[in-house]
Amino acid sequence: MRQMEKEIILNVLNLSKHYKYYKSIFDIKRDVIKAVDDITFGVFRNEIFAVVGETGCGKSTLAKLITGLISKTSGDIYYDGELLDYKDKKKNFRKKIQIVFQDPYSSLNPKKKIYKIISYPAVKNNIIKKKDRPDFAASLLKNVGLDEEILYGYPHELSGGQRQRVGIARSLSVGPELLILDEPVSALDMSISAQVLNLLMDLQAYDKMSYIFITHDLKIVRHIADRVCVMYGGKIMEISPSADFFKEPAHPYSTILYNSMLPYKFKKQLNFTDLNGKNTVPGLIGKEKGAEKGCAYFKKCYASKEICGKNEPPLKDVGNNRMASCFFPFTHQGL
Amino acid sequence: MVYGGRTKTMNLEIKDLTVRLYPKKYAGGYINVIDSVDLYVNGGEIAAVVGESGSGKSFLGLSIMRLNPPDVSEVVSGFVKIRCPAEKEALDIIRLNPKNLPSVRGRLVSIVFQDPNTSLNPVIKIGEQITEAIFAHKKMGKPEAKEIAISYLNRMNIDGKARFNAYPHELSGGMRQRVMIAMAMVLNPCFLIADEPTTALDVTTSLQVLSLIEKIKIESNLGIIFITHDLSIAKNISDKIYVFYAGQVMESGKTGEIMDNPLHPYTVSLINSVPSLAADYMPKQKLFTIPGYLTRDDFAEGKCRFYARCFKRDENCLKNIPLNEISGGRFVRCVKWKKK
Repeated sequence: MRQMEKEIILNVLNLSKHYKYYKSIFDIKRDVIKAVDDITFGVFRNEIFAVVGETGCGKSTLAKLITGLISKTSGDIYYDGELLDYKDKKKNFRKKIQIVFQDPYSSLNPKKKIYKIISYPAVKNNIIKKKDRPDFAASLLKNVGLDEEILYGYPHELSGGQRQRVGIARSLSVGPELLILDEPVSALDMSISAQVLNLLMDLQAYDKMSYIFITHDLKIVRHIADRVCVMYGGKIMEISPSADFFKEPAHPYSTILYNSMLPYKFKKQLNFTDLNGKNTVPGLIGKEKGAEKGCAYFKKCYASKEICGKNEPPLKDVGNNRMASCFFPFTHQGL
Repeated sequence: MVYGGRTKTMNLEIKDLTVRLYPKKYAGGYINVIDSVDLYVNGGEIAAVVGESGSGKSFLGLSIMRLNPPDVSEVVSGFVKIRCPAEKEALDIIRLNPKNLPSVRGRLVSIVFQDPNTSLNPVIKIGEQITEAIFAHKKMGKPEAKEIAISYLNRMNIDGKARFNAYPHELSGGMRQRVMIAMAMVLNPCFLIADEPTTALDVTTSLQVLSLIEKIKIESNLGIIFITHDLSIAKNISDKIYVFYAGQVMESGKTGEIMDNPLHPYTVSLINSVPSLAADYMPKQKLFTIPGYLTRDDFAEGKCRFYARCFKRDENCLKNIPLNEISGGRFVRCVKWKKK
């Protein structure tokens, strides 16, 4: 159903974020953690773009970079053909890009009433006047499937699912075109998470929004996403259309992620050994020595050869609109 | 080796356990946070307790260890009996003298908590934290205890010698959780309560911890009560499933039977509300949802506890519903399980 010529709404070019720190207080030189390292991708209009990866792979840093909550080290982000700069008051990118945070318990101000929380971005952006706040908030609450009666309540009166909906309503209050969802359902129960996922899919279809959906749950990715982007160590490992990804992951790391999903309808025998030797426990990203030259996943990869430790594999086309940064894509475990 | 297979009969039996909670907020009122729960685990078996947050599943784990807060909760009825080769006769934890409780905790039953980041003491080396458990129960020299601790760390796929003197912050989340399991296993208990041990972990690390739990289960014929909210984990690791809602067991039975043929509307809803991984699954469709959320009102007497959110409810549900045995070992707390 997707139209032939897809329009790119967000273009990320060679984006990096490096953190510097002193290893110990006696150090003179600072060490560098490459949280996001030289990544390039595009997000199409009206698309759900999922970013998956383990803790520390840089996916939340990426979200913060796109929303301008932290400053980038190098690289560019283009939104709709224009350089993304939140200081540009005329273009007002804040109105177009919004974020929903992971933890619904800590992302709402406990001292503010619900209607104030929801309408604050709209008042700040001069979309509505201060006196219209309750009506405006009520209409947004209706959109996210909540009752009007909580308008004058406080966040502590709500359950986790309701809070997450309030968080979504707040992001929708300025009518964004791109919504960044940073693990929106991982703090919720399974029955509640189904409610929120349905809501998100409805909103996306109705308002023609684009989502960047950050998660570590591949089941949800398969259900909701159009394209999947796998990150590891601040690098993009693979970008694939969702349907192809779940048929056959291209990158070895994607295969490991795919195999670690617990299937639901059939029983898979659990391995009694580690997935690939003892070194699967992820260390601090970017801190490994020797990772600067070669592939970020080199040391833990089951398909690694000598070349992987010397040269860094570029993100290149592997056919079928798929990109992978691997010298040996489609190598499967056990082969 | 210090740990080894046990062949004698051992089991943990919970019968009609009711725990009453007196929340300070509701002066005088109470709720039965655990309501007539029956549960049975053999050695070498994993029983999964599945339910939403607030359904009382963690409280069940605490009650089995008698760790429930004594000032706001009390056990009204029922018993928790443990038969273990180390004991001559069955031991009822609920009626045990509180003085004797420390000798039971850790030695017969131990518990692994959800969050490895907060349950380890950050200023004490992990080796010391593990040997502390040994010294509390046995008279033993330091080198001996260290040897045991190292052997248990090795068993958890951690380099025991190198990591014995490490502080918790030097380990990753998955390693910390494995240290927690080592700590729980170091006295070779008969039963282990695992309270959401993988919820705070990544997918790949979580799989390692799960396979480790399966491994130690087989090696020392351990009976495990695995508390989780993730049905796919329960399905893959457990032999039996107890579906929990508002303090009651809604459905229980063998894992395969429950997952292939769920009978209670709550179990049906839970299974349908998670995206599936089956090959023929069509993405982008509406997920099945359970309306509303678990509230305090659900704990009220005189109706099915799932009544407010059920899709099959009618006036027949407005009474206390007993747990019916349908076939051998399969129980359902619903009046309508026949009309599937």
